[in-house]
Amino acid sequence: MKTNKILLFTAITFGTIFTSCKKDDPEPDPTTPTASTTYDNGVFVTNEGPFGSGTGTLSFISRSGSAVYNDIFEAKNTFPLGNIVQSMSIYNTKGYIVVNNSGKIEVVDGSSMATAGTITGFTYPRYFLGIDNSKAFVTEWGTSGLAGAVKVVDLTTNTITGTINTGKGAENMVKVGNKVFVACGGGFDNDSVVTVIDAITNVVDTTIFVGANPTYIQVDANNNVWVLCKGKQNATWTALEQTGKLVRLNGTSYATELSLSFSSTSSQPTNLVVNAAKTTLYYNYSGKLYAHAIASTILNSTATINRSFYALGIDPINDQFYGSDAVDFSSNGKVIRYSSAGVTIDSITVGVIPGNFYFK
Amino acid sequence: MCMLNVNAQNDSLHHLKVVEIKATRSVYFSSASKFQLIDSATLERYSNNNLADLLSHESMVFIKSYGLGSLASSSFRGAGSSHTAVLWNGFNLQSSMHGMIDLSLIPANFLNTVQLQFGSASALWGSGAVGGAIHLNNSNTFNKGISVYSNTSFGSFLDKQQQLSFELSKKRIVSTLKVFNHDAKNDFEFTNKAQYGKPIQRQRNAELKQYGLLQENYIQINQFQLLNTRYWYQYSDRQMPPSMTQNVNVAIQKDESSRFTTEWQLNKNKYSVNVRAAYFDEKLYYEDSLTALFSKSHSQSAIVELETKFSITKYDMINIGVNNTNNTANTESYNKPHNQNRSSVFASYRLHTLNLKWNAILNVRQEFVNNKAVPFTSSFGLDGNIFRYFYLKLNVAQHYRIPTFNDLYWVPGGNPNLLPESGLSEDATIAYKQALKKVKVELEAAAFNREIKNWVIWQPDVSGIWTPQNVQEVWSRGLEYKLNVDYRTSKWEIQVSGLYNYVLSTNQKSISANDATLHKQLIYVPIQNSQGNFLIQYKGTSISYNHIYVGYRYTSSDNKNYIKPYSVGNVRVSHDVVLTGAKIKVYAQFNNVFNEQYEIIEYRAMPLLNYQLGLAIYFHEKKQIKIII
Repeated sequence: MKTNKILLFTAITFGTIFTSCKKDDPEPDPTTPTASTTYDNGVFVTNEGPFGSGTGTLSFISRSGSAVYNDIFEAKNTFPLGNIVQSMSIYNTKGYIVVNNSGKIEVVDGSSMATAGTITGFTYPRYFLGIDNSKAFVTEWGTSGLAGAVKVVDLTTNTITGTINTGKGAENMVKVGNKVFVACGGGFDNDSVVTVIDAITNVVDTTIFVGANPTYIQVDANNNVWVLCKGKQNATWTALEQTGKLVRLNGTSYATELSLSFSSTSSQPTNLVVNAAKTTLYYNYSGKLYAHAIASTILNSTATINRSFYALGIDPINDQFYGSDAVDFSSNGKVIRYSSAGVTIDSITVGVIPGNFYFK
Repeated sequence: MCMLNVNAQNDSLHHLKVVEIKATRSVYFSSASKFQLIDSATLERYSNNNLADLLSHESMVFIKSYGLGSLASSSFRGAGSSHTAVLWNGFNLQSSMHGMIDLSLIPANFLNTVQLQFGSASALWGSGAVGGAIHLNNSNTFNKGISVYSNTSFGSFLDKQQQLSFELSKKRIVSTLKVFNHDAKNDFEFTNKAQYGKPIQRQRNAELKQYGLLQENYIQINQFQLLNTRYWYQYSDRQMPPSMTQNVNVAIQKDESSRFTTEWQLNKNKYSVNVRAAYFDEKLYYEDSLTALFSKSHSQSAIVELETKFSITKYDMINIGVNNTNNTANTESYNKPHNQNRSSVFASYRLHTLNLKWNAILNVRQEFVNNKAVPFTSSFGLDGNIFRYFYLKLNVAQHYRIPTFNDLYWVPGGNPNLLPESGLSEDATIAYKQALKKVKVELEAAAFNREIKNWVIWQPDVSGIWTPQNVQEVWSRGLEYKLNVDYRTSKWEIQVSGLYNYVLSTNQKSISANDATLHKQLIYVPIQNSQGNFLIQYKGTSISYNHIYVGYRYTSSDNKNYIKPYSVGNVRVSHDVVLTGAKIKVYAQFNNVFNEQYEIIEYRAMPLLNYQLGLAIYFHEKKQIKIII
């Protein structure tokens, strides 16, 4: 008798335990688009994604701000982008999304985001630059983060056709005429050069020493090239043994025309962008955003915005600033928009670690 | 709670009184804590598994595993991986460098029992015993004779294991040697849902090679004194498989550890004295040629502990002890080798009724790290038999965890000014235990509440350098249910058990403006998980089924991203052939029998149905003794 009671009791308890394991899905994200959504007239935000084994995502903010879509790549293609989404470019109506730790570029239709192939074979790729209808350059840190290179990509076959060795940690590129300037930010080490490549012959033209760890690069209205060097940490990472620098190179003679050193031995300048007219540069330094008119020969001491950003963009249509905040690097980040005068417009929640912008 | 005896003793009259070698404090001064004992019979079923497998199948401790044979850490009651004290015969194995221990590197067959102590127990065990403590125990019995044990298994993905044990058990001395060797390719197939077309791929760079030995000696010097020594050496060489979102991973990790302990016990009627010492040497080499990371780290710990236990009246018991732990560690990412000296004084007082049905226990500890006092820690517990079959345990405990060497000294970012994490936990356990002739029933419900203040989080500082700060505050609370029914006759045994946990572990402090992580569940802490075990045994043949359910786990701290729950079923069949002086066991273990595609960590592939087949042979020189192996 007693045994029977116990068995009944057992059955009831088990029933309770297993039925209580409800499978109530967390709320779906209302900003996830439907598969038929198209993305024009706005800004793409590449979100690196959580560290470790996770995936990055792509967000889109319409220029008017009325629509925000998150995770737009997976919503369309039903597979995630991959580990550490680094940057995106649109070239000849196709989107090229560079996925750093997956060593690949996902190619999509620039409007619908429908997958149009994958270019594989990179080692820590960073940025994409279209050269002509059939050719693009992609910077990568390379094996060990020391073999910085530009990979030549055939856009008709989506394959890598060549390697041009550069300085360590090849990062951002700009093109002036037929020359591509590659900022070599050091990768997992340090470097101090800009490598100039002939975009027709795929051969290195020259290597220019600029300052410690040149990472960001822009072209101004006079076709001169501006390089922002982050500076170099000392061996114990307690101070900068070489401070940051803003350097102007002549776009045709490659001569260093201006070299401005930052004073701080703790803060590294980051995020060099240029306005639509290409007459004013902006960068982050010491927790603030500063402007630098291209004619100026001194560093500005008055900030435009009293805040620094994880990533910075400037909309070439209306000169609005887009600054990102990665918050705790483990939750969805934010994009804060400012007018060209530096007045806050709004704040938009995007994906985890928003790291780059592409304006369409 | 108690240690499990080898059941041979009742049969034989000329045996000496069984002398148990046990971690004194855990027996007498933690009866108000909820415990789960994983006995030698259960451990034997997991003889070719590691501690991470064992705990994920047999307990509600959440095991965060990166994959088959890969790094596995634990989360106790919603706390972090460095909030579990892992005590090997009373010595804490948590790394001074990162506060964790990889549970996948602890072979189950090196242990005699595993006990899980739920709730904070820093007053007894010091820094790190925040969410709970895992007690890994070795014990032995004198005068059993000579025995030899071998166990060989072969499994999916070229998993090959060999274990060999030798034991000499005389009147006054026991000497044992266990060795193991484990190789596996782990190249299982999985559906890569992170790639276009969701192709089926074979896991790459997942091979492992491990071997180790455990040598133990127990000497009964005279009727009052016991001495033991243990030496545990282990080497592991593992490749690090890529996640589904990475294409390539070429990293490898090598772990090498040597652990030596010795203990002297004096047990008189009125008092006992224990002196124990340990020396641990741990090396880790991590190599990732893609990122040019070649990292060597090396740490040593020297631990000396002295304690004495005595009673003033027949209603009480007192334990007083001191501990000195000296840690040294070095890696390329420190600018020099660092040393840390930790000394603590601890004391326990127990007041009990004569029949020991009711106990009230006070534990206190004061630790000094490099001569600086960390928060004073105490706990107070009460436990007893309320009426008939009902038992109650109440415990209030302070806890702390000192920052790790990496937190303090890492270049860049290490913050030497970090404070210890600390806080308070309360828990209550009510149990119903009834033993009839053939049936034993145990039902248990526990509720807990815990806060951790000054939780260390790494975040970028103003100049973008990642640095740890005492910024987070975490509130964890939950309910835990357990049911065990055991039906046993001379030929039959049926065991049914179920476990269910509901744990909320939330961030209580806003770090930024409009912080979306406020009041949100910590990442990789499942709110719900449950488990069922069923075992049926007839004579020497047994079949068991184990079912695991793990609920949603959030992967972002604002709880916007999550991974789906999973259910995994495992079956084990074994058959014993008993011969004169020997026993042969053949067994088969089938994991993930329902082919569940699941991830414990996002985009980390786990294998579908896989198996292990094994053969164990046990030889014993004295045939009158029944032995559980």
